[in-house]
Amino acid sequence: MLLIHCPYCNETLPEVEFAYASEAHIARPTRPSETTDEDWAEFLFMRSNVKGPLYERWRHVHGCGRFFNAVRDTVTDKFLTTYKAGEPRPDLSSLTEGLK
Amino acid sequence: MSQYRVSGRGRVDTARPVTFTFDGKSYRGAQGDTVASALLANGVHLMGRSFKYHRPRGAIAAGSEEPNALIGTRRGSGRFEPNTRATVQEIWDGLETNSQNKFPSLKFDVGAVNDAAYMLFSAGFYYKTFMWPRSFWDKVYEPFIRAAAGLGVSPIEEDPDTYASRNLHCDVLIVGAGPTGLAAARAAAVEGLRVVLVDENPEAGGTLLSEPQARIDGKAAWDWLAAELEALKALGVKIMTRTTAIAYYHQNMIGLVEKLTDHLPKLPADTPRERLWRVRSKQVVLAQGALEKPLVFHGNDRPGVMLAGSAQTFLNRYGVLVGKRPVILTSHDSAWYAAFDLQDAGAKVQAIVDTRADVDALLQSEARARGIAVKLSHTATATSGRLRVSSLRINPVAGGTVGAAQDIRCDAVLMSGGWTPSLHLFSHTKGSLTWDDDRTTFLPEKTPEDCVIAGASRGLWGIGAALADGAEKGRAVAEALGKTGAQVAYAIEADRPGTGVSHKELPTDLSAGKAKAFVDFQNDVTAKDLRLAVREGMRSIEHVKRYTTNGMATDQGKMSNINGLNIASDALGKKQPQVGLTTFRPPYTPTSFGAFAGYHRGEHFEVTRKTNIDSWAEAKGAVFEPVGQWRRARYFPKPGEDMDTAVRRECAATRASVGIFDASTLGKIEVVGPDAVEFMNRMYTNPWTKLAPGRCRYGLLLGDDGYIRDDGVIGRMTEDRFHVTTTTGGAARVLNMMEDYLQTEWSDLNVWLTSTTEHWSTVALNGPNAAKLLAPFVEGVELTEEAFPHMSCVECTVAGMPARLFRVSFTGEIGFEVNVPAHLGQKLWDILWEAGQQYGITAYGTETMHVLRAEKGYIIVGQDTDGTVTPYDAGMGWAVGKKKPDFVGMRGLARPDLQAKNRKQLVGLLTEDGSKLEEGAQIVFDPKQAIPMTMVGHVTSSYDVGTTDQPIALALVEGGHGKMGETVYIPMPDRTIAAKITATVFVDPENTRLKI
Amino acid sequence: MTAPISSFMPGVLTASAAARVGFAHRCARFSLRARGDLAPLEAALGLSLPDRIGQRTSAGEREVLCLGPDEWVLHAPESDATAITAACAGVYADHPHSLVDISGREVSFVIDGPRGAELLTLGCARDLDTIAVGEGRRTLFDGATVILWRDADNNFRLDCWTSFATHLFHLLDTGVRELGAENH
Ligand SMILES: [Zn+2]
Repeated sequence: MLLIHCPYCNETLPEVEFAYASEAHIARPTRPSETTDEDWAEFLFMRSNVKGPLYERWRHVHGCGRFFNAVRDTVTDKFLTTYKAGEPRPDLSSLTEGLK
Repeated sequence: MSQYRVSGRGRVDTARPVTFTFDGKSYRGAQGDTVASALLANGVHLMGRSFKYHRPRGAIAAGSEEPNALIGTRRGSGRFEPNTRATVQEIWDGLETNSQNKFPSLKFDVGAVNDAAYMLFSAGFYYKTFMWPRSFWDKVYEPFIRAAAGLGVSPIEEDPDTYASRNLHCDVLIVGAGPTGLAAARAAAVEGLRVVLVDENPEAGGTLLSEPQARIDGKAAWDWLAAELEALKALGVKIMTRTTAIAYYHQNMIGLVEKLTDHLPKLPADTPRERLWRVRSKQVVLAQGALEKPLVFHGNDRPGVMLAGSAQTFLNRYGVLVGKRPVILTSHDSAWYAAFDLQDAGAKVQAIVDTRADVDALLQSEARARGIAVKLSHTATATSGRLRVSSLRINPVAGGTVGAAQDIRCDAVLMSGGWTPSLHLFSHTKGSLTWDDDRTTFLPEKTPEDCVIAGASRGLWGIGAALADGAEKGRAVAEALGKTGAQVAYAIEADRPGTGVSHKELPTDLSAGKAKAFVDFQNDVTAKDLRLAVREGMRSIEHVKRYTTNGMATDQGKMSNINGLNIASDALGKKQPQVGLTTFRPPYTPTSFGAFAGYHRGEHFEVTRKTNIDSWAEAKGAVFEPVGQWRRARYFPKPGEDMDTAVRRECAATRASVGIFDASTLGKIEVVGPDAVEFMNRMYTNPWTKLAPGRCRYGLLLGDDGYIRDDGVIGRMTEDRFHVTTTTGGAARVLNMMEDYLQTEWSDLNVWLTSTTEHWSTVALNGPNAAKLLAPFVEGVELTEEAFPHMSCVECTVAGMPARLFRVSFTGEIGFEVNVPAHLGQKLWDILWEAGQQYGITAYGTETMHVLRAEKGYIIVGQDTDGTVTPYDAGMGWAVGKKKPDFVGMRGLARPDLQAKNRKQLVGLLTEDGSKLEEGAQIVFDPKQAIPMTMVGHVTSSYDVGTTDQPIALALVEGGHGKMGETVYIPMPDRTIAAKITATVFVDPENTRLKI
Repeated sequence: MTAPISSFMPGVLTASAAARVGFAHRCARFSLRARGDLAPLEAALGLSLPDRIGQRTSAGEREVLCLGPDEWVLHAPESDATAITAACAGVYADHPHSLVDISGREVSFVIDGPRGAELLTLGCARDLDTIAVGEGRRTLFDGATVILWRDADNNFRLDCWTSFATHLFHLLDTGVRELGAENH
């Protein structure tokens, strides 16, 4: 069971309080009806499925209820950082350097 | 005093005798004995038969690593457990134990024929033997494998014990309460940290318990230990014994299993048998010590052959001599001390046989001083004896040549092949290992966790080294937690440092092909099996392991891994690190299912949510069904009624007069804010802007893929406030989905969502008399067609209770849903039930609700839809707002595939022969086509207990909306049923019955 | 069979030498959601709305706990409910917010006794030491979302949705007896 830092509660808490919410930074088109089938399919279905640091979303569903973003290494299962929804995606190089 | 008990030795209390049975025979031991130590005190070495060859076996070890001495333990009815290690189970008055894998008796076993048929059972025999012929599988192989598979016999009665679990947070968790762990605990505890020290044994002390000769800080080891434990407790250290760290998970989460009652003669009240602790520790110190390795030679499994260190433990901890004429066979100094201790306790050590040419002179002179013969540069090539070893065959080795054999008469062979650091938990952390050529073993290197490994588990040897390393590592973790960390030094006397070498199988002058030199005792894997596996092409240690099953038994290779690796790498001609070590997997020792289940069994197995009206239904004898986490009344049988009869009655009564239904489980979400209507417009397919306060509408929720996710009636209570209902099972999911869009896509909207599912008890009244029944209780609105038409909602008072009243129908009858604050639900129900008697009011459950709605063609999301159904497929295009700029799923619906003509569409089905279809049955257009037939849909709902004059069904059929009146076929195992495609509404298509 | 929720009466439900679990009197409960300038709402309610998750404030018998960046739970005597609703409605037009009555949604258990905090470790994975006395948190207890109000070291209130109450009480009762047996 992982420990996850909620950027809203500013606490590091057991994973059971959280729910996974798939890849982050996939914005829904503001005018969906104007998107092409290809663009819509890209938004709806395509995910990066990276081996390594992944930008993803979690929800502190049994706590403050907020959705937030995280960078988690899918190989080591380590969280590199978490940040509030709407904040820009952090630079990966700055995150990995901080690790031992 | 038993024959092999040594007075003045050990920590057991011989003044408190304990009587127990083994295979029906009564034995006497002492308070503090294990089954193994008590049996050994009585001269009993034969404790079991091996798994594959049914060879006679005795205890080889003294602790939890024991592979052989597996027993069944019994405490009266229902309390039977197989595969308990006799070396771990403490005895108590009345304990019943039995040996395993024997038939008909331990001393004469028919299965031992497997031993003679040894060639059949060599490496990979499962893979080779059971391949062919195919026809043998059912009758020959499978029964054989089933009979042979598994150790011991499973209990068949329900476990009457209880199990518990707890979460624990601490600063430093120390695994292993030997000298290393004790020193680490002190170093951390003096800094004021929350320290937890666990040990799997009944008492803390580890090696100190087996080495009473040592002196620490001027005190005898056991005196020092007692004082130190008191001191640690005073410092606030939580010391947990009989507690095994079974697994190490991410971010310093360690699973502990604490055994609370297995050692007690009487079970205390309210006390679980075992407790699983989920520990989250900021820092972890692993101090699990090292495990002794056997030597691999022909006959090394005979009862009486055991590890020298274990013999020393049996003597010093339990006061038991495992033999009176033992011979020592070793490649490590430690066994010499075992020899000295046994000799000093009255045994006549026959010889110390060491594989090495050079052994410390001091040890040799100590042996001579005791009159013990010393044989250096020797190998062991065989043992003899039937159910107990009676001699050891040894040969000198010179220049790689094995010389002439000599037999040494003995009643025990005490062997030591050196020590393996216990790296199990360290490996669970994905810690890397490094090969140490000098010590011929893997040592811990780096771990990604906040964890240090100390003492013998990182290859250090001796009590002095352990104390020093424990103190240093304890200081280091304290420092990592921001403390200064004090240096603690210990003065140690009479320590027993030493060295040794590690071997593959010992050299022999006998035919290697016939040798039964065991590596894995529990799975009966020999050195020959490992070499055969390599000859047959296995290259990776993981393949060798699976081909031979080496290390795959319940002891997880604690003794066999390194010996197996040495042999496999020799056979491969590679260095050990190139061959690799197999993965250590949790749990460290076998763990009961009960410990994992904890409190979650019986009625506490999982959350069962109940409405406030549930107890009324229970009192009325309702039959319940689970819906999500809820239990809901499915039907209310009268005496003698089965489900069909009850549901037929409930359906008829509701259509004829009035039915009452507990709809409290429906999900409810309060949507409040200035942008509430805009949020609803974006979320649901329907247009909401023109819905006036006081009116409600059926809402359809899609995913962005365009498929139906949920539905429900939604009322606009005021301009800025919607009362949304969802399906029972979808409540949490829908709220989560709404929050997701609101928080992450539409943060421009000023609106908030609150779950009110449980704020309201919802009582549904349906039937022609529903309005008549309800009207007298309602204040604030007239229940007339004009004042409160179908699809209205209002805040009012019902029977004096504050209520939200909805006029809706999921049955096709006049319908009301009365919402009152949940704690008033039962009161409202009672009032309506009482008043309804004049109308013959009938309580109905979910089954009747399903039938009545199907007769009206109302879908149930998840039953008539399956995540690939659009509103158009379901015939509900009318619910889709055509003029809205966007809603969730709008763009998805425009995908070409969702516009296709031949999509599966929801239709009604009426069978030609009047039979009832099976839900889930597949549909074809042409029943005469060749198999496999082209399936064009399936039956989603089917009932024959409703108010129609023939069974009805709903189905998804390719292009169904364009095939009204056509015939489709439903092939069943015994016949093919023809059915006509119809509209989905079977009752009152004009909705005349909805009118008051 | 576990007792139905309707059989729970205010007062002590189960007790041992280690811990006690009681059932709290019913009270008015509201979920309050708001953003931006909170002053008008605070004035209407007569208490300040804490802005750190987990923090509590109270005024008279009204008590509020911050659960999320824009979320509070408000407890008050039942008789105070109408006044609260009216006060908030009065400022809605100028300061839109969401006030939802959840009085029927939840019940509260009261936990105390010398090992009250330890009792909660049976079902709560988070470190209770991180909830200071006088604070509260929403968290998970034995699979159910709950709100913990820490009133003293070993004194908690546990709010849960009504339908989970019998399940949670079953574990609390088991734990009270289990901890009690350890005390001997
Ligand atoms: Zn949070």
